[in-house]
Amino acid sequence: MGNPIIDLLTNTYFLEIVVFPGLTSIAILGALLGWLERKLTARVQLRIGPQYASPAGGILQMFADIIKLLFKEVTIPEGADTFFFIMAPVTALIIGAALLGLIPFAPGIQIANIQVGLPVFLAIVTLSPTLVLLAGWSANSKFPFIGGLRALFQQTAYEIPLWLSTLGVVMVAGTLSLTGIVQYQQNSGWLIVPQLLGALLFIITSTAEMERLPFDLPEAESEIMMGWQAEYPGPLFMLVQGPAFVKLYAFSALFTTLYLGGYLGPSPIPPILWFFAKTLLVIVLIMLFRSTFPRVRLDQLLRQGWTTLLTLSIINIIIAYFLVVGFPAI
Amino acid sequence: MVAQGIPEETGYILFLFAATIALVIVVRIVISPKDPRPTPEKRAPFESGQISSGAGRTRFIIQYYPYILMFVVYDVIAMFLFAWALNLRALGAAGTLPILVFMLVALPPLAYALHLANRRENW
Repeated sequence: MGNPIIDLLTNTYFLEIVVFPGLTSIAILGALLGWLERKLTARVQLRIGPQYASPAGGILQMFADIIKLLFKEVTIPEGADTFFFIMAPVTALIIGAALLGLIPFAPGIQIANIQVGLPVFLAIVTLSPTLVLLAGWSANSKFPFIGGLRALFQQTAYEIPLWLSTLGVVMVAGTLSLTGIVQYQQNSGWLIVPQLLGALLFIITSTAEMERLPFDLPEAESEIMMGWQAEYPGPLFMLVQGPAFVKLYAFSALFTTLYLGGYLGPSPIPPILWFFAKTLLVIVLIMLFRSTFPRVRLDQLLRQGWTTLLTLSIINIIIAYFLVVGFPAI
Repeated sequence: MVAQGIPEETGYILFLFAATIALVIVVRIVISPKDPRPTPEKRAPFESGQISSGAGRTRFIIQYYPYILMFVVYDVIAMFLFAWALNLRALGAAGTLPILVFMLVALPPLAYALHLANRRENW
């Protein structure tokens, strides 16, 4: 034991929580994802996008935006419930960051390696529509209230197909631990091959859970003026926007872990780079949804969620069952 | 280390966290603008430039209520499948029979509820 500060800064647990894959890397990657989304959407729509904030294609634009938003004036609307109005986005950000503690980024680089990683991830995610409703209700304004109610209805449409699409992975891999699922894929190949339908359902329902286009009903800009985010002033608006990118990162990492073999890959390239290459691929795919698809209506989402998505997820469970138990001899 | 109360590392992490937030708050106090007497228009809820009228928390038609009722019932049922799926290799085909009966009991009411919920005149 020498200098306690040196000991602390070289402590693995400290580094995992504070530096990588913890808080600092989440903040930086969230800001970079914001830039990537704006640039990619702009290029798809034949615009230029962020350009001036740095020599390399405006890559520092989101950092400039964060500094600007952080020091703007706070105006709470009249009649708002101040405590819940402020605490709802703060709690949403904590929830988003907690998701990344469960992901195995490389062998040994994982904050919480628990036996029930997958259900814990999905259970934490379930809380976020409630926080959206709370934020919308506490603002004492009509657009946020409608946005919050839409988030609640939308949850009923995607939640059950989201759980059931991951059920196929649990049946085939025989474990609920995310590390265990990756180790299963080391022996038997990526799970996207036997679970293609499940992967498709997972990416659709997780896009709905992240409230991204084509399912961004709670914050539809052109209908209800950013919905539940409408009344948030500068610094709180930054807190509201943060969880969106953190959840995009977390869900892409979960998709990589469940279906694309996580950190597995041929040897010369280190596992962590494989993980980030696959995650970036999924992130770009979800961002391309945003720049290409139009928004669905709420009743369309509810009807399709309860009929098409639910039926397909039950078919996926049947496929997974026959993969595990074996096809009956006819 | 746990027996000694809060470990040293946790103390430092909490200190760094608190120091970052304190720094932001102090800089905010120094440089951000502050309006001592905001006008009523400034504090009014946003209604697309119109003068806002009435309370924000109004009564609202919950026309998709049947979906919420179905969600409350079937989300819990979906959880039970995880216990079965985890032990599928050990249970085999014989252990699947109860879950098959369970699904056969649970799914026809869902189909009927969907039939009622999807009808536009019931909204």
